[in-house]
Amino acid sequence: MSDKKEYRGSIHQQQKNLMLAWYDQLDRAANTGDPPTVSMMISGNCVELLEGFGAVPIYPEVNALQLAIRHQSLDPILAAEDLGYAADNCAYVKADIGCILKGITPTGGKLPTPTLILCNFVGCNTYLKWFEHTAKLQKAPLYVIDVPFMRADTPSRSDVEYVVKQLQETVKKLEQLTGRKFDHDRFRQAVECSSRSEELWSQIKHLARRSPSPFDAYFDAITLMGPLYVYRARPEGVEFFEAALAELQAKSDAGKGVYEQEHFRLVMEGPPPYPYFRTFRDMFAKWQACAVASTYSTVGGLWEFGFRHDPDKPFESVAMHMIAQNVTNRNFLQRYEQIRRYVEDWNADGVIIHFVKSCRLFSAGQGDMRDYFTKQLGVPTLYIESDLEDPRYFAEAQTKNRIDAFFEALEHAKATAPVRA
Amino acid sequence: MYFFERSFDRCSDLGFPSVRKWKEQHPGGQVIAYFPVYAPVELIHAAGMLPVGLSGAGDRLDIQHADARFGSFICSIVKTTLEMGLTGHLEPFDGFLFSTICDSARNLCFVMKRNFPSMYVDFLHLPHNPSSPAATQFLAEEYRRVLGELERLGNCKVNDDALACSIALYNRNRALIRELYELRRRSPELVPTSELYQLIRCGNFLPVEEHTTELEQALTHFPSRNAKKRDSIRIVVEGSFCEQPPLPLIRLIEEAGCYIVDDDFVIGQNWFDSDIPTDGDPLLALACSYLDRSVYSSVRHDFRKPRWEGLVEKVRRSKADAVLFLIAKFCEPAYFDYVPYKQELEGAGIPHLPLEFEEKSFTFDRLRTEIETFVESLIFD
Amino acid sequence: MRIAAGVDVGSTQTKAVIMSDNGGLNIVARALMDTGANVQRAAERAFDTCCQQADLHSGDVGFVVGTGYGRYKIAFGNTQMTEITCHAKGASFLCPGTRTVIDMGGQDSKAISIGADGEVLDFVMNDKCAAGTGRFLANAAEVMGISLDEIGPLSLQAKHPVKIATVCTVFVESDILSYLAQGKSGEDILGGVHTAIAKRTLSLARRLNIEPEITMTGGVARNVGMVHALEEVIGRKMLVSPDAQFIGAVGAALFALEKLGQSFEFGIWRGDHATSGGH
Repeated sequence: MSDKKEYRGSIHQQQKNLMLAWYDQLDRAANTGDPPTVSMMISGNCVELLEGFGAVPIYPEVNALQLAIRHQSLDPILAAEDLGYAADNCAYVKADIGCILKGITPTGGKLPTPTLILCNFVGCNTYLKWFEHTAKLQKAPLYVIDVPFMRADTPSRSDVEYVVKQLQETVKKLEQLTGRKFDHDRFRQAVECSSRSEELWSQIKHLARRSPSPFDAYFDAITLMGPLYVYRARPEGVEFFEAALAELQAKSDAGKGVYEQEHFRLVMEGPPPYPYFRTFRDMFAKWQACAVASTYSTVGGLWEFGFRHDPDKPFESVAMHMIAQNVTNRNFLQRYEQIRRYVEDWNADGVIIHFVKSCRLFSAGQGDMRDYFTKQLGVPTLYIESDLEDPRYFAEAQTKNRIDAFFEALEHAKATAPVRA
Repeated sequence: MYFFERSFDRCSDLGFPSVRKWKEQHPGGQVIAYFPVYAPVELIHAAGMLPVGLSGAGDRLDIQHADARFGSFICSIVKTTLEMGLTGHLEPFDGFLFSTICDSARNLCFVMKRNFPSMYVDFLHLPHNPSSPAATQFLAEEYRRVLGELERLGNCKVNDDALACSIALYNRNRALIRELYELRRRSPELVPTSELYQLIRCGNFLPVEEHTTELEQALTHFPSRNAKKRDSIRIVVEGSFCEQPPLPLIRLIEEAGCYIVDDDFVIGQNWFDSDIPTDGDPLLALACSYLDRSVYSSVRHDFRKPRWEGLVEKVRRSKADAVLFLIAKFCEPAYFDYVPYKQELEGAGIPHLPLEFEEKSFTFDRLRTEIETFVESLIFD
Repeated sequence: MRIAAGVDVGSTQTKAVIMSDNGGLNIVARALMDTGANVQRAAERAFDTCCQQADLHSGDVGFVVGTGYGRYKIAFGNTQMTEITCHAKGASFLCPGTRTVIDMGGQDSKAISIGADGEVLDFVMNDKCAAGTGRFLANAAEVMGISLDEIGPLSLQAKHPVKIATVCTVFVESDILSYLAQGKSGEDILGGVHTAIAKRTLSLARRLNIEPEITMTGGVARNVGMVHALEEVIGRKMLVSPDAQFIGAVGAALFALEKLGQSFEFGIWRGDHATSGGH
């Protein structure tokens, strides 16, 4: 498929190579039992800890979204529904379960049975069910890291201690399961790598404050997120983000944006409709509307406001990341605040809220969010519904209609309103 | 009309007469509502406040505002709870406590916080990792935090004696509930579930002392009644731990030829399988009990023992013939658990029927047909 | 004199109007027909019928704006706009003073908040679960064996409207059947059905700031029962134009007239042709 809109620099090829190398490692693990693998959730993942064992993460969400983008998610979803899952269960879970049942993988290679299924519970109750069910299905050991939810502005001492203790218990568990000793130095180095990757990633995010933005902080950010979750704690990750920053910086310095003319600047809330990723993107491209910030790109971690892992406090900073520095474990009003900050500091014209039926964590209450932005702050906000994995919930004509109408109104408002101060 | 039916009527009234009465009797007293499923009511009670379990608005409120905030694919109880707030029904309440049960309820907590800024709205993190030795200390600390908030709200200081005293009161209450459940398992003809349900659910609203008296009355009332054993199958109802089915639906299940011999209706009232210790540090005792004495539930995670084993044990203990899943529409925890439950029941040769309901329903013909067919299939098997 | 047209290709019906600005803006012709399977053909026929009515050649019409679901299928149109933008424009023209539009069509319900010039300030559309108000009513009519035109007037005669909890097009059927089995009257059942939809629609409109005047548009605006039920729940009278069905087409024609008056190139939504065929 030809593509006029999105930026295709060398980082896209590098990203692809990195991700394929990751799947190769998983394939090797499936065939030889080495390296050890740990299944984890993207949100607030503690990939640094795995480095201390030379273990490789498996991210079921990445597998699920890869399938959806390749239009292969419906079969496994249906297989899971045959088992008794409801139409209204999270389709990520159903796709993953269906894949395990049918041995489907996104690359066609093999996926190993994880050495450990590590449920990093960060506010998503569905994660608990998901990993509980896959552990049952795969007969793999399960451990839960219970991360206290952000019910206050900052985590308490007790919150952090609780998570640190559980991280140490996880280390013991992994020592038993892998027969390897936890390498503290390597762990510290991993945390150090993460802090550097995060700094680079944050700088990339801040490039989108320029007008025009050199990349789309929703659609293009997703390309960069794979390496962020799999590689940020490794030197390859640091190298990748160095290259990405240099490339985007150069593009921006040359005055180039995502579109010939950047007509609208948006903040995107919610995961994308992966089964119609391209179609959805085109609906915005048509209006030369560029996402300058997105909450979805902070699921794995929220770094653009300054947080970094700290090699001097490796366990505490991993705990802090899991508790306070990823969008899923932050409370709903903190998400409002995050978006508000994007609108102001990234100078956006409006907010797009994409409700995904699968994910109540993201979506429950987004009508109230819309109410807050339109009525309290006067920010133009569009609310649309579909799903991140299940192709049956995307209504192309309706979605397009709403997006077109939103931009027609925004166009009129921009044409008549005084220039923003 | 039995005394508990009168209480039930009073408790279902969205004007909250029982709450208002308590406030009249306790000038300056504060009322803390909690969202299902479980809340440490002892903390609220010990702070001199009235804990009230709000289980949605049933069929007594049209959703006219909350739909705009919560939209499609979200269960009714989340919407009716917010609707009550947006229509001024929650005026008698001074605070609202939520916990980690599901993602929708989690977000509701903070939507409430934004929309009702003068109310104390808090979120209790109940641990999901009981296998960690650190969980007990964490939960005790979390209880201490919430207690601190209550003390600030009520401008009071709560000591260990007051806490122990509250724990003892609720221990007594829960022991009576366990006794009633035992009586029903033994002689379901004496304890119709549509009645027991009302009696237990009143505990959400009534002061614990008052509710305990009603439970005691019931324990003398039920065994003495003259009831004939019907030709019914014995079933366990599972899945209505949060949003509650309409009372007519519970009646309908019984009329269709079922003895409900165990259930998880308003399960927060029946959360512990034994008494919480009243000696030692009360917050630690509460925390330990949450982790080690509580019943299984779709919203309490404990990987030391799978919930599906808990369900099969429940069926065996109550000598039930079958399980009826009564799942609230869009209740994701219940939808998820249905699969392993189903697999485990099939493995154990226990028949089951999955049904979906909404707290607000006015016609039940479709459900009636399904339940009757299920009963017939078991009887004429 | 400038002459322009608007064609609104909806999911069930296609509407076209021709307007002129000969000493004030006037509707000079209107046509309405079922959309059917061939969307492009329906648009052509509606437009041709209008031309005949006004005694015009298609070449006399200086500009055509297409709107509605089938807007991209209108081969002879000069450009396209969504029916949301067009409804706002049309309502403000036909019912001056309109600040809120409630539109109930076959597929979608929407509420639009509009400014003094008929520009869209904000809009919301129905959730997935409540799609198809028109379809919902049609289903109810079918289950009861009553024609769609009759249900509105009948619903007004309800004495004790029944309670309908669902707004799901599928489940309403079993609700109705249950009430029929209980011996409830058709009027009471229909009263319940209309009230349920009205409440649902109001809850949609509440996502906006509902300001008067409120204008109701769309095919369902012809249903007196629905208008009444909505007025009841909102607690205020609504404006309903005799041309309610044509409002989208009128809005489109008004935009077309404006375009004729402007010389600049407004290319941005023409870009659509370039991207829509690609996948």
